[in-house]
Amino acid sequence: MQQLMNAPVELDTMTKAQWIESGGAKLPEAGDQLQLNGRFLLVTKADNHQLQILRTQAELTQLEKELLGWLAKQGSMMKPGSASASELERQARRLGEWLQQSIDAGEWRAEIPERFELHHRLFDGMIPFLLMSEQAENREPSYGELEKVLRSYLSDDMLLIPLREREWLILGTDRLLAEVETNEGDMIERGETKEALVSLATGLHQMITEEWGGDCHVAVGEPIIPTESLAYAVATLRETVYLGRKFHVGMHVHMPWLVHLERLLSGIPEPVRSRFMDEMSGRQDLFTDPETVSTLDAFFAMDCNVSETAKRLFIHRNTLLYRLDKLKQEAGLDVRSFNDAILVRLLMLLYKVTKRK
Amino acid sequence: MAGVRLEHVYKKYPGSDKASVTDFNLDIQDKEFLVLVGPSGCGKSTTLRMIAGLEEISEGKLYIGDRVVNDVAPKDRDIAMVFQSYALYPHMNVYQNMAFGLKLRKFRKDEIDRRVREAARTLEIEHLLERKPKALSGGQRQRVALGRAIVREPQVFLMDEPLSNLDAKLRTQMRANISKLMKRLETTCIYVTHDQTEAMTMGDRIVVMKDGFIQQAATPDELYNHPVNLFVAGFIGAPAMNFITGQLTEEGGAVRFKATGFNVVVPAGKAQLLRDKGYIGREMIIGIRPEDLHEEPVFIEASPNSVISASIEVSENLGHEMFLYLNGLGKDNVIARVDGRSQLQEGQNIKLAVDMNKIHLFDKDTELNILEA
Repeated sequence: MQQLMNAPVELDTMTKAQWIESGGAKLPEAGDQLQLNGRFLLVTKADNHQLQILRTQAELTQLEKELLGWLAKQGSMMKPGSASASELERQARRLGEWLQQSIDAGEWRAEIPERFELHHRLFDGMIPFLLMSEQAENREPSYGELEKVLRSYLSDDMLLIPLREREWLILGTDRLLAEVETNEGDMIERGETKEALVSLATGLHQMITEEWGGDCHVAVGEPIIPTESLAYAVATLRETVYLGRKFHVGMHVHMPWLVHLERLLSGIPEPVRSRFMDEMSGRQDLFTDPETVSTLDAFFAMDCNVSETAKRLFIHRNTLLYRLDKLKQEAGLDVRSFNDAILVRLLMLLYKVTKRK
Repeated sequence: MAGVRLEHVYKKYPGSDKASVTDFNLDIQDKEFLVLVGPSGCGKSTTLRMIAGLEEISEGKLYIGDRVVNDVAPKDRDIAMVFQSYALYPHMNVYQNMAFGLKLRKFRKDEIDRRVREAARTLEIEHLLERKPKALSGGQRQRVALGRAIVREPQVFLMDEPLSNLDAKLRTQMRANISKLMKRLETTCIYVTHDQTEAMTMGDRIVVMKDGFIQQAATPDELYNHPVNLFVAGFIGAPAMNFITGQLTEEGGAVRFKATGFNVVVPAGKAQLLRDKGYIGREMIIGIRPEDLHEEPVFIEASPNSVISASIEVSENLGHEMFLYLNGLGKDNVIARVDGRSQLQEGQNIKLAVDMNKIHLFDKDTELNILEA
């Protein structure tokens, strides 16, 4: 547009109140315009209280102004991406193929080339979700159906990128994080981001299972700028689902920041793992008792805090202490001591893998 | 509304030699509240997930109403599910959470609004409609999850341990709420739990499962008073039924059950059955519910042939009742449930009368209840 107008063009935002104060219409909508301090202002998008504005110093004729207004109006009525469903699917599949090739070639840090049509939609902060369907049905679900459901759940500006069979990358805007907050306008604290991501992923899993069809696994990563690190994010999420399914059978929502230990254990050669299990021989029998396992899971989840664990398990503190003492007596491992806690944690993780052999 | 029928349903996972669910046959009536109960790994959740369409059925047929739904996608089965981990949509408020499924199914706005507000009124969460999930308590979230299922007005509700994330007090409260709600909605409900109190208090009928097999499907009263085998007898009831292994003998025309600390006469009707089935002289297991051991003198005087002696190792007084852990009877502790006002002390030797009309006798090998077979 700068080239066409031969003048600088800026994109800005302003509130509706500011627009009205400046002499604009009381109910502004895309395509509305006004002249302010020698500049031409055009509304490109109108939300509840906020307006997206295009501002230029260019001297425009009435016809040019009307044409720009008409374009803005048309643009606001189109869905993000402005491509038809099948066209969008084609573009998404192309990008998916490139992602797959980059990951296969070990080029996890590859940036998305500009030749991809979707490139322009990948500059904003986005939350990557990886969806793996385990639907009982044999047919591959349609892209269009899934995209429609996800748009209802996330927002119109989400992107669905098919990867492998029954595997999709979903990119949702990072503005969703703010929407998780109780009050509109509340800023999300840095520490709360992960909590919000978990709740979004858990909700997504529930929604897919209930409303779209069948069982699935969902992994979620921290927000990224997709043009820069999409291949890396996909590879990480894929690994997260693999580790989650291997070490935490029964869990369907997986987070990369919760499987660090699992990743390390997965990399240990089998003979070393077997030797460790042999040396701990007899102790892993403890993990056949569901009460012991749930107690230890809760104990580790609550950072080995006795009072908090008892609260979470809805049991008396003394009952928990009794269970931990029983474990100490039977296995010789006191999970209240740091070193023994590590050993028990490792044993529990490895037991879950070896048990299924 | 519709009933659900499972005909010879099996679930076998690839690579596993054993079926997780074996020959499951059950006819669930329209509007019935059916509870699947059993220890972890018994196949109850797998069965529910097959009904939901989240697991493929390896063999057999599943009907919802008159329609075979084996190959019907979950979303097209006209069911609504409430899981243990009742995840709400965190970026939507309560109203949007409840309306979401209907919106997706392209219901008219006014119809969505009517259903959401009606469900909210039923669940007493009208004042929470504008709130985001983060601002809700555990119990409120659970009610929203229920609301999301209710607005769908499905043919069948499926609930998988929906109360297990709540604390004991809230669980009791929600238990009653769900029961009332289901009665009001008059919809078929299949409810999975490992908690036998939940099963007994909520179900019109209970299916007890173990190792993928149905052990017994009956009303709570039938299960409690007429368990078909040792497993059901031990699983239903808290404290659990006491089991004592001993021998049946016949002396002077009376059939007696003898074990450590026991020498009691079996009532004539039951004795004849045991004679007919050839159990005299054989080892067997007697089952006695804790409340069928009586310390009141009137019982002891009236039942001279079924009096036993024991010492109290531990007593737990809950106020309205007292549990006595008794030594000297069989191999393990025997528990008696007596009146909370009893002035009994730990270490004290006491006499108790067994209500022999309410005993159960189990075959030691097959573990079947001889008196019910």
